[in-house]
Amino acid sequence: MSTEHAHPTPKMYVRIAGILAVLTAVEVGLFYMEETVGSGLARTLLVALAFVKFVGVIGWYMHLRFESGLLSRFFSAGFFLAMGLYAIVLGSFALAALL
Amino acid sequence: MTDLAHTTEHHDEHESTGIDNRKLGMWVFLSSEFLFFGALISNYLLYGNRDFDTVTPREIYDIPFTSFSSFVLLMSSLTMVLAHDALSRDDQAQTRTWLFATGALGSVFLGGQVFEFYEFITAEGMTLTTNPASSSFFLLTGFHGVHVAMGVLMLFSLFGMSLRQGRLSSRSGLNVEYVGLYWHFVDIIWIVIFTLVYLLSAA
Repeated sequence: MSTEHAHPTPKMYVRIAGILAVLTAVEVGLFYMEETVGSGLARTLLVALAFVKFVGVIGWYMHLRFESGLLSRFFSAGFFLAMGLYAIVLGSFALAALL
Repeated sequence: MTDLAHTTEHHDEHESTGIDNRKLGMWVFLSSEFLFFGALISNYLLYGNRDFDTVTPREIYDIPFTSFSSFVLLMSSLTMVLAHDALSRDDQAQTRTWLFATGALGSVFLGGQVFEFYEFITAEGMTLTTNPASSSFFLLTGFHGVHVAMGVLMLFSLFGMSLRQGRLSSRSGLNVEYVGLYWHFVDIIWIVIFTLVYLLSAA
């Protein structure tokens, strides 16, 4: 099973870093403009931007998008397991606080 | 990051999965780290945003300072991937330069974290045991810092190896790949911490 694919060029890596830096700047900007933008929207955008950066680093810098699907499955299994487990934990605490 | 694995390790093809076992192990290890950091982040989400009689972290965050630290760590991911790319082209000098740059940027990030902790403890009087919010903050960011410190140690070890041996061997090439994966993982965890712990918490 071959997993070799064409990888991005250094120029492409620098471009991705630029995008990540801009996204970080937007995040910080949103933090300071929360009242102007609206708390709900600002918070949603902050989470969305973090997710884009998260996926960007995994996909391009960790090269997961160029790797075997098996690695993606192993890696995402841990991520979703953690997300599910702690969603249940936090949900239980929230529920207990309500009751 | 498959180039080196396939060009330098002939026995890859004999693995039943088609992937080098060490590489698969590295990805599984990183995957398991989601559970580790997930526990610490959940702990912070439970206690970090509560009010206590004593000072809590979200009241004293220095967002511009932490934003700069985040930027530094993000750029270290760029230098790391450039180191790996240089090694895949067998450009030993550039590999060495980028490895050193990554270690240096990681050290700057660590220095920033030490400074932040120092300020919180001495100027603000917030310690590990001040309240559950401070405990959860120090535990989470402290363990992340330990991961960064381990990464810096590995980066400078590779840099030292390349200086001592004159060049990084093909076997070291795989090590660069694994250290790179680890380093990027530490970066993505910080992306989550920066948003959930700092920006959303202090907003």
